[in-house]
Amino acid sequence: MELLRPDSPEAAAAALGNGSVALAGGTEVVPLLRDGILHADRLVEVREVLPRGVEGTAVGAATTLAELEVDPGIPQALREACALAASPQLRSMGTIGGNLLQATRCWYWRLKFPCYLHGGEECHAKAGQHREHAIFGNERCASAHPSDPAAALVALGARIRTSARELAVADLYRLPTDDNREVTTLEPGELILELDVPSPEASVYLKAMDRRKYSFALVGVAAARFADRVRLGLAGVAPVPWALDSADALEAATPLPGTAYKVDIARALIRRAVEAVGAADAAAT
Amino acid sequence: MARLIRTEKEVEGRYTEQWVVVEEDALEQWPEGPLHTVGRPAPRVDGLARARGEARYTQDLRLPGMLRTAVLRSPHARARVKRIDLGPAREAPGVRGVIGPGDLETLTNEPNYEGQAVAAVAADTIEDARAAVGLIGVEWEVLDPLLDAHVALERESFVAEPRRYERGDVEQGFAEADAVVEAEYRTQSVLHNALETHQTACEWEGDTLVVYTSTQFLWGVRDEVAAEFELPKDKVRVICRFMGGGFGAKGSAGDYTFIAAELARVTGRPVHCRLDRREENVNSGNRNPTIQKLRLGARADGTLTAIAGEYLCLLGWDGWLSPTAGPAQMLYACDNVATVEYGVRLNAPPMDAFRAPGFVEGTFGLECALDELAAKLDLDPLELRRRNHADHDPMDERPFSGKQLMECYRRAEKAWARRDEVRARSEGPWRRGVGIATQLWYGGGGPPSYAWVRLSGDGLITVVTAMQDIGTGTRTAMAQIAAEELGVPLERVTVELGDTAHGPYAVVSGGSSTTPSMGPAVRAAAADVARQIREISAQRFHVEERVLSLSDGRIVSADGGSWPLEEITGLLEDGQILGTGARGPNPAGMRVMTYGIQVAEVAVDVETGEVVVERIYAVHDIGRVINPLGAESQIEGGIIQAIGHSLSEQRLLDPRTGAVLTRTLDAYKLPTIADVPEIVSELIDVPDAHLTNLGSKGLGEPPIIPTAAAIANAIRDATGADVRSLPITRDELLQALREAARRERKLEQVGAPSA
Repeated sequence: MELLRPDSPEAAAAALGNGSVALAGGTEVVPLLRDGILHADRLVEVREVLPRGVEGTAVGAATTLAELEVDPGIPQALREACALAASPQLRSMGTIGGNLLQATRCWYWRLKFPCYLHGGEECHAKAGQHREHAIFGNERCASAHPSDPAAALVALGARIRTSARELAVADLYRLPTDDNREVTTLEPGELILELDVPSPEASVYLKAMDRRKYSFALVGVAAARFADRVRLGLAGVAPVPWALDSADALEAATPLPGTAYKVDIARALIRRAVEAVGAADAAAT
Repeated sequence: MARLIRTEKEVEGRYTEQWVVVEEDALEQWPEGPLHTVGRPAPRVDGLARARGEARYTQDLRLPGMLRTAVLRSPHARARVKRIDLGPAREAPGVRGVIGPGDLETLTNEPNYEGQAVAAVAADTIEDARAAVGLIGVEWEVLDPLLDAHVALERESFVAEPRRYERGDVEQGFAEADAVVEAEYRTQSVLHNALETHQTACEWEGDTLVVYTSTQFLWGVRDEVAAEFELPKDKVRVICRFMGGGFGAKGSAGDYTFIAAELARVTGRPVHCRLDRREENVNSGNRNPTIQKLRLGARADGTLTAIAGEYLCLLGWDGWLSPTAGPAQMLYACDNVATVEYGVRLNAPPMDAFRAPGFVEGTFGLECALDELAAKLDLDPLELRRRNHADHDPMDERPFSGKQLMECYRRAEKAWARRDEVRARSEGPWRRGVGIATQLWYGGGGPPSYAWVRLSGDGLITVVTAMQDIGTGTRTAMAQIAAEELGVPLERVTVELGDTAHGPYAVVSGGSSTTPSMGPAVRAAAADVARQIREISAQRFHVEERVLSLSDGRIVSADGGSWPLEEITGLLEDGQILGTGARGPNPAGMRVMTYGIQVAEVAVDVETGEVVVERIYAVHDIGRVINPLGAESQIEGGIIQAIGHSLSEQRLLDPRTGAVLTRTLDAYKLPTIADVPEIVSELIDVPDAHLTNLGSKGLGEPPIIPTAAAIANAIRDATGADVRSLPITRDELLQALREAARRERKLEQVGAPSA
């Protein structure tokens, strides 16, 4: 395997695709390569050439989670989502751009079962062990999206600038379909360069885990209030970060037998998050 | 005088009769309480070496020319190898040796669980070895695995014959009961996940096979390897100077040892075979799941009249039936007890001993059921336990050798008395409560175990014994015992262990038996040296031997004279004083057990199912405590491991294929330091007057036993929910809360008309 070190974002983007994979913090790409889930002939090191740091509402894609969690200019929901993610070591390596692209923790997918997400016919989790799995968008694949920051960015209505276009964070994701099992809309040669993170009047991120630290979200709830409107983003409940209008929308959840409890947790966390951002009156609980 | 006796030997509740030659244990026990060194906190003698990375583990071995190994393990829970082609692996770069089914008994072509070893490759690097394993062509016939416990029970698929026990008449007992509780309890499979994975390096030196291995039992590995390769036992030398944890799963040689030894034979090179973390989580043993149907009956005053238990122990493909019904049989005085334990065989990775195997699982069920009984009888749970205290072994009327459980109960009162204050701190969705649970366990150790002590010209003392320090601080405790007996500061004592070629036979580091087995042998060897010093000193200083004693590094005469120890040792220049010691027999006709109680304080978020253990108070009776600092660490370690067992850890199998899904430490959730509560521990520290020259029992296992039940009982106290299944994850707890709410509504409906 070859390691390429381009000297500009343009050169990095140009080097991607065709067996070349972007490498930033490496906290996800390296394990996936080792497990043979991701294949690469060449790694393109992008960390040095991507924007890094915070300027106004602009956040460089190479900014680490550790940098974001302590930056006073960053909305609270994103700071808390970063602080509650992974461990200090991983947060010091992992970048916000890479975090948005991390893959599900579904054990069947990670163990390379020939599941729907890997291009197969069935979702093994549905008939198997699925207590960590989805309650929304799970008709074909019941995997849960692991990113805490992505949920916060969805609630914050953040936008992404890539080497090819600009889009809402929510539009970075798609549910897998029969003809395309990808869960992001990023094209092979496309590189996330920068995020635009609006400043809400108040925001918060709450996370339910199996232990107190260093665990992926069973349910993560971000709430952000802009004027009178509260937007919600959820982690761990669908194959992609999930936007909800209100707790009422939980009625539309389609939990599996083993994930029904996530609806209860989501309901409680949404109520608390909405209260926390100071919109108790408007709370749709 | 050496004495040949027939004695009962116990390891983790498995009793065998055997012949042993024992020395009379002529030494009087030391007086109760802290002495000069024994009974006082001592930092680990090898602590700095471990912290600085100077301690060499099996993992650190780099023998010249050493090859690395990768193992082809079955990807199927049940399958048959129709055809296997090792040829491409033999031709692969860096490969020096390949073995497959037929080369070793441990390599199979009919695997019965996922991860069972089929073939292995030794190569220059681990990467070469792994790549070569990938080239082995296997044509599998995949067979339907047996994974359902109840189907297996119907088919009588057992690893061991069902074990039945009965005393009195349980139906009569239930007829006499004023209250009966009946429920099903479940415990999950948990994994040891020691920091150092299972591994061995083997090297042939002439006709001797040298085995470097991460083990709890040097001599057990020696015997197994000797049998496998048809070698005289002493042509196998086993070495483990430092090990990174075992928790029960490193009591035997394991497939990796046989694979390393065979590949070393085939290649003529040293070979290292090490499980990686994923293999460790599949293939290195586990605490087997249980399903326990329990029924308890008691009179209104709390007297237990009957205990009935049916235990399904889902052992996997192999293993042994650990004493899961032990607590129901032994913990309380109850005339009528009937239990049956089934060791169910499934196409799942085999169980192995895991820190108090059986009693951890059985205590969870029994102690939860007892609290449910207390609620039904409207009795205080601590008082209910006191009223059923067993004054002697209820199984065979034997007296217990040293039992301070009532004193444990007395000391636990102050922690138990906090419950009103704890409950009062409930606010919003957070409910708080307190729960207790009692524990008993073996831990008396036994013969044979030997030690040598050497006093050299410079006055330094070396204890030599071929035992292993599993990581509990054995080196330190043994050094303390020798220092105490010889009246020298701890710094003067070095303990040499970990090599069967360098020292006499020593016990397995398992079953909480290391200190109670080895300690008395070390003391006897040190006493042998002390006796010789007194004899020599009497001649040198022209005093009577009986007036001499050893203290503060000096030879002290009752007449007032005293001389530094070096005056005698220096006299001998390179001469040495050598002592030997052996573990004496256990007290005949008595039952030796350890006891304790823990009080858990928890906070429960009833909306999100989060459980936070806020405080654990633990008091244990293990006879004399050698090193209070080490003992405190043992209690804390046991409780932390128990918190994982209680709240977050579970090995999950795919119900269709039998594949282990939780192979990595993100999926298999050990507790982090953030999950650790305040732990307050106490030890009774009264020597067991009947047991050996020390009166000490083991503490490796007792602290992990009662924690899960104490936590579950605290959750019931806080919320009214009966959690009867481990781990108590959010889904489990929310489910239990829903059931409690349903029960409450039903009660209200029933109660309403009469109110």
